[in-house]
Amino acid sequence: METIAASHCPRCGLVVAPPAAYCPHHPVSMAPITLPGVGEVVSFTTLHTPPAGFRSPLHIAIVELEGGGRFVCHGAEVQGLKIGATVAIEAVDNVYYFSHLGAMERARLFWRRAGHAGDRVNAIARSLAKRVWKSRAVNTDA
Amino acid sequence: MQLVFVAGVGMTRIGRRSEPLPELMAEASRLALAEAGIDTPEAIVVATMNPEEFLGDGNFASNVATHMGFADVPALRIETATSSGAAAFYAGFAQVTAGLRRTVLVVGGEKMTHLTTPRVSEIIGRSIDPYERTYGATMPALAGLVTRALMTRHGVGAREIAQVAVKNHANATRNPLAHFQQAVTLDEVLSSRMVADPLRLMHCCPISDGAAAVVLSARPSPVRVAGVGQGTDTLAVRHRRELTSFAATRTAAREAYAMAGIGPERVDVAEIHDAFAPFELISLEDLGLVPPGKAGRATLDGDTALDGRLPVNPSGGLKARGHPLAATGLAQIAECVWQLTGRARDRQVADVHCALAHSIGGLATNNWVTILARA
Repeated sequence: METIAASHCPRCGLVVAPPAAYCPHHPVSMAPITLPGVGEVVSFTTLHTPPAGFRSPLHIAIVELEGGGRFVCHGAEVQGLKIGATVAIEAVDNVYYFSHLGAMERARLFWRRAGHAGDRVNAIARSLAKRVWKSRAVNTDA
Repeated sequence: MQLVFVAGVGMTRIGRRSEPLPELMAEASRLALAEAGIDTPEAIVVATMNPEEFLGDGNFASNVATHMGFADVPALRIETATSSGAAAFYAGFAQVTAGLRRTVLVVGGEKMTHLTTPRVSEIIGRSIDPYERTYGATMPALAGLVTRALMTRHGVGAREIAQVAVKNHANATRNPLAHFQQAVTLDEVLSSRMVADPLRLMHCCPISDGAAAVVLSARPSPVRVAGVGQGTDTLAVRHRRELTSFAATRTAAREAYAMAGIGPERVDVAEIHDAFAPFELISLEDLGLVPPGKAGRATLDGDTALDGRLPVNPSGGLKARGHPLAATGLAQIAECVWQLTGRARDRQVADVHCALAHSIGGLATNNWVTILARA
């Protein structure tokens, strides 16, 4: 999976990506961290007359990364995409793109995120309904 | 602190103008000074967002002052992106209330219709976080992100958003200085071209030329500056927890209400920064003028229409009066003064004692709330 360079404010915990020298809210140096290239769509739009240097239609999304921090990226398509959907982020020539996750990727993410064996049962119970709902939302609209 | 009064206001016709910007600013200034009965102000504050790129001219305070015959009057320039006019008003207010000057001319203007739309969009977009710009973010793009979140997460309907544009165009038909003089229908707005999905062309303000001016004075006159507040937020939109409410507006409103010693329930009429129609709905709630989640319904029900409970943007707003960037904050204040003094003619709201102007700088990174009251 793609990783994304970010930074973390030691005072307020804010995570920003890409990394910044100073926290936007505090005059303190941020600590570098790395985040997985996966997150939840906060919002997205399609520009039909994008600025010079971009091809139309231009899809732009804000994605809330796992581990915090919101990230701006492009997408190849937004057909069926919904706010709240889980997407993977990949870099192509240093430009980041989001894409819908297939069932296998989502399952793999789920097991990875569920953590240690002891937490696993609770995690399944907590998020099963959410997962089923989400996968249905993605599938019916795709 | 010295009480500060608005001694005079002036505004050019907004729209496509052939005159150079210094002349537009002189036109608005002369009107404001004549109304104030002042030949020469003690100081000048000039607001322009980006004359360096729109016109290729800099040192603009001296440029405008010299053009008007005020080369010997101390002049300075203020810039906070699209809210520069409101920021300049604050700078003038601060000088008078501190007792540094007795009369200050505040003038703002912008000229951009001589450039192509993509070029104007690019120059306005300089106020966006540089990293977000590398992903093609323009003002409409960021507003599109805000609008989708507003519709999806808060259930605001397409008709509620479109009604803002319909209402503001209707008001502008009564404003001879407005950029657009014609009404639009809900269907026209809803079927206009998609710009930044789900934001449509007729949700967006036009590109306009124009200028507006205000003379502030320590000498009593019918309109008093009751409160001014500034609120700021991160340059990058992605660093914010909320997309559908602007912290910069909430902070500015809190400051302005505190200085004025009033709450939002005392506001009789408001000029709100509707650069994009959904921003009027967001701002109504951020300003506390409408309860959370109710702005769309209130707009559809006519509460914010000229004959409603709280008329909003009687001038036509940015959407229809037009948005000559640094002129806008002062154009809003001019409208508030006309409403407070019974000079708004066909769009006069009955019995106005307190008026509020709200200006957004950038994508809500530097916002202002100004409250004016009958003295």
